[in-house]
Amino acid sequence: MNHLRGAVLFLAAALLQWWWSTRLSFDGLSPQILLVLTVAMAGRVGPNSGMCYGFLWGLFIDILRPELFGGNALALMLVGYGTGTLRRKIDVIDAVSQCLIVFFMTWGNFLLYGLLGAVFAKNFIWVGWPAFLCDPLYNCLIVPFAGLACAWLRVR
Amino acid sequence: MHREIRVSNYVLAALLALALALLSLPLAAPVRALKAGVVYLLNPVAYYGAKGAQRLADAPPGLARLLRADLDNRQLQAQLREAFWQKSELEALRTENRRLTLALGLTPPRGYLSLWADVMERDPLHWYNSIMISAGAQQGVTLNAPVFGDQDGTLIAVGRVIEVRRDSALVLLMTDEASSVAAYLSTSAVEGLVQGQGGSRLRMNYLPSEVVLSTGDLVYTSPTSATFPGEILLGRVMAINPRDPFLTFQSVELRPAADAAALSRVMVLRPSAALASPLSLGAAERR
Repeated sequence: MNHLRGAVLFLAAALLQWWWSTRLSFDGLSPQILLVLTVAMAGRVGPNSGMCYGFLWGLFIDILRPELFGGNALALMLVGYGTGTLRRKIDVIDAVSQCLIVFFMTWGNFLLYGLLGAVFAKNFIWVGWPAFLCDPLYNCLIVPFAGLACAWLRVR
Repeated sequence: MHREIRVSNYVLAALLALALALLSLPLAAPVRALKAGVVYLLNPVAYYGAKGAQRLADAPPGLARLLRADLDNRQLQAQLREAFWQKSELEALRTENRRLTLALGLTPPRGYLSLWADVMERDPLHWYNSIMISAGAQQGVTLNAPVFGDQDGTLIAVGRVIEVRRDSALVLLMTDEASSVAAYLSTSAVEGLVQGQGGSRLRMNYLPSEVVLSTGDLVYTSPTSATFPGEILLGRVMAINPRDPFLTFQSVELRPAADAAALSRVMVLRPSAALASPLSLGAAERR
């Protein structure tokens, strides 16, 4: 994996996530690009890359949010680890399976983040039903693009 | 494969520990330092992202302004072209107005009317001899009719008609060698005969030898002239010729008021219908 491309992908994805959340969100809903990319990265490159990228992207989200610092980093890191573990058992590169993983990982991410809030901030951080129900579908829509980005990363 | 699992477990443990430390020690100095460091590293992403987004947001109004400016520019160019046309038209009207004003200011001799005509043609070989004008018998031009020009709103003598065609006429200029007209000096009021020299100068002959002459004097047509009305400017004294002891008169060189190269329109006097016979010209002024 080209490190320069990795850095470019990291910064570009972070910028895109921030831009979409602030400029293109519809009724407060926006896709979790970084989560989808973490899944794609762990599925195509491996669990270590997925965990590292997920952790750093999580930190980026954490600095933009006033709540738990480290919560998103932990959640996305676990998403990367989970996808990397599934990679040994099923084909996670296939678009359909990746969509399913993204779908359920989104719910898992929401619940884990809420639980971390309950543990560390004494308050379950609930994202709301619209986001809980719509975001997984929204995320599935960008799975092909995340796959393309990770494929670009692996080109030598 | 086992190695990868082992490494991933180590990475998981390390990052898990780091994340839990960040979560559990949100106000500790190391955590705050780490947060500040991460913010320092990643804030430019948001900062430059905001700037870039702002530029993108500003692009449509900027483009609209550019298109509007282009439309304004085209409109102004069209207006400028129109203004140029209007200016040209205005200049032409002003010239026409000046000419008409001049024509109104001139009182033609009894029984004569004024007629304006364009200079149509000049013969390069006879530049100071003749010009062709755009009025002829059809317009009422007659043989030997006097022709005038305009210099700063003043009528000046140009010559006389020597050939009349249907719609044009040939004018013999004052500078032609065959031209002559009775004239007087503005300062001394003595009369003489102004004759063409075939060049850019005129000569005024038959001035009494006792008269004191000076350069710069203006010369006008004499009321005794049979061709021209009186008081029409002919030219200015440029040089006084040395006296010839064998002659009883003296002469001066004149610069003609009518510049042959600058003539574009001329005024011709034509007899009115009531006039029974054409002008009778003095022998000295006939060709």
